[in-house]
Amino acid sequence: MPGQKFTWYNGIGLLLALIFALFPVLWMLSTSFKPSDEWVKVPAVWVSGKPTIDNYLTVLAPEVLLEDRGGLDQYDEDGNLKQRSDESSGGGAQGAIADFLTKSAWQSIYGSLILASGGTALSIIVSLMAALAIARYRFGGNFTPFFILSARMFPPAAIAVPFVIMFSDVGASDTYWGLILVYAAVTVPFATWMLKSFIDDLPQEIEEAAMMDGMSRWKAHLFVTIPLIKGGLVATTLFIFILNWSEFLFALVLTYNKVSSIPVQMAKYFSATEGLLYGAQAALATVSIIPLVIIGFLIQKHLVRGLTLGAIKR
Amino acid sequence: MSNIKLEIINLRKEYGDLVAVDDLSLSVEQGETMALLGPSGCGKSTTLNMIVGLEQPTSGDILIDGKSVINTPSGKRNVGLVFQDYAVFTNMTVEKNLAYGLRVRKEPKDKIASEVLRVADFMCLSDKIDRKPSELSASELQRVAIGRTLVTNPDILLLDEPLSNLEADDRNRMRRELRSIQAETGQTVIYVTHDQIEALSLAHRIAVMNFGHLMQYDTAENVYQHPQNKFVGSFLGNPPMNFVKGVLRKEGDRIFIQNGDSSLPVPTDIGSKIENNSGLIAGFRPETLTVTSNEEDFSFSAEVLAVEPQGPESVVTAKFGDTQVKVVVPSESESATDGNKLNLMPNFDLLALFDPDSGMRLMKHGG
Repeated sequence: MPGQKFTWYNGIGLLLALIFALFPVLWMLSTSFKPSDEWVKVPAVWVSGKPTIDNYLTVLAPEVLLEDRGGLDQYDEDGNLKQRSDESSGGGAQGAIADFLTKSAWQSIYGSLILASGGTALSIIVSLMAALAIARYRFGGNFTPFFILSARMFPPAAIAVPFVIMFSDVGASDTYWGLILVYAAVTVPFATWMLKSFIDDLPQEIEEAAMMDGMSRWKAHLFVTIPLIKGGLVATTLFIFILNWSEFLFALVLTYNKVSSIPVQMAKYFSATEGLLYGAQAALATVSIIPLVIIGFLIQKHLVRGLTLGAIKR
Repeated sequence: MSNIKLEIINLRKEYGDLVAVDDLSLSVEQGETMALLGPSGCGKSTTLNMIVGLEQPTSGDILIDGKSVINTPSGKRNVGLVFQDYAVFTNMTVEKNLAYGLRVRKEPKDKIASEVLRVADFMCLSDKIDRKPSELSASELQRVAIGRTLVTNPDILLLDEPLSNLEADDRNRMRRELRSIQAETGQTVIYVTHDQIEALSLAHRIAVMNFGHLMQYDTAENVYQHPQNKFVGSFLGNPPMNFVKGVLRKEGDRIFIQNGDSSLPVPTDIGSKIENNSGLIAGFRPETLTVTSNEEDFSFSAEVLAVEPQGPESVVTAKFGDTQVKVVVPSESESATDGNKLNLMPNFDLLALFDPDSGMRLMKHGG
């Protein structure tokens, strides 16, 4: 607020809030560089004394690790090569390691990009039209917005199993398009409500003014409404993209081996000998936030605009 | 007449069970300023939207230059609408806003540039051409909105409550500017307002609407001085028209309206045409009463209840029979003190008699 000084206790308050907000991210970043013995050590290791990029190699280039360690051999905690013992360990444990060490996470990163982008694009297109219909033409009366939101009023797990059955019937299981449809379906209610509020804030006169200048309704929406709610549109798109990017349940139950996504891949970093591989999970999580951080940075200006929208000075 | 610009014929608009505009017929001449005046919800904005094509009438016809435009999309009617909230594009500079209509119409670039300069100059916006709307004052925004519309050279310029968002100062200035814009361009203007002062000061003719009906359509002077019904009389004027309900009595050659134990004399030429003992309402404007010192033939007396000084004039509330009448008197008038009896003389040329049931005027002006 103008006229008010920024005092030292404002600064401390901000710092505490910042630490609180960033702690999980920093912990994740720190863990991603820790060797396995430091992952769950008590007392906690804040910054690793012997940082390693093995976790990133496990995720992004496991073949390098395998090469270093002699093919499909197991390795111990210090990274020393263990003696291959075909008789004692059997195929089981070896197979479990091989599962994620023979296959990098690239397929799931690629999958997440396709699924999140496709689901978001479809969701935003559908929601934008729905929001216009509701905000401008009062489509279906007052009940429609609630009707749309009701699709999110029960836990997604309740529809996950029916989806699995339906999807296998129509051959949509383990396909990108199938999961994109699901992602669009579950995010349309949020996107519609968000976009509706942005359109509501925009006076209808502005479109009518464009129509007076000779535009059709469609053109007025396309060339006047949409550019003027750009900030809101960008904010909504990012929000939906994040929802889709981090979606786990549907991706888990509706994919098998052809399609994968980052959250599903993350759950696969589990070994019989070491339990959850926190380092690898942290490394993949760190990789996965990079696109979001870049997008967020690029559209920062629009995000702020999304909050201070208003085409007409009243 | 060949110079009729806009003709509205039996226009009707229904929203479900609600009739927003009912059987509206009127015409506007080339170069005329017409005001659509009425309280909120009277159907004036709906009428405006139908003229510009943002709403489709239920029935009836709208002719511009003699041609029906009912099936013409709004962009092709060559009418310009200035919105109440300006509808200025905040993401564009003043220049881009002014150029918008021509750009959409795909006019050549050099023509757009010269037209924008001409209108910016005319609307006194030349030095603000690169500004964004957020840097403009309300009256400047209003000028951008009008300029944006004028640049397309519309056959009819329609303004929807253009001054209602302005401060009192800006409003007065803008009102003068609108007058001069109209005079200089010779533009046919339709002006929607609920403010009678705006309508009276800007319009050649005023269409007063209420509940979707046209109550009166006449020159500004006639609408004010000779209302055709009680509604028009009460809607225009501040303080509003006085209404005295009574019964017409004829005693010998004296004709008067009896209200309680008070009587309002009526000249014989008016009164003789009305049946004895018929109930009626007399309407007269507060400023058409003059205070006389002696009891003249046609004066009546009323007891002063309250005096509200308003600068050079005072509004006196006086008791007449069982009703109250307002009188505008010069502030220096000494007789206007509480409890005093005033002898009031109405201007009979401007006295209107209404039917108590229908509220319609009994004798038309000049009839």
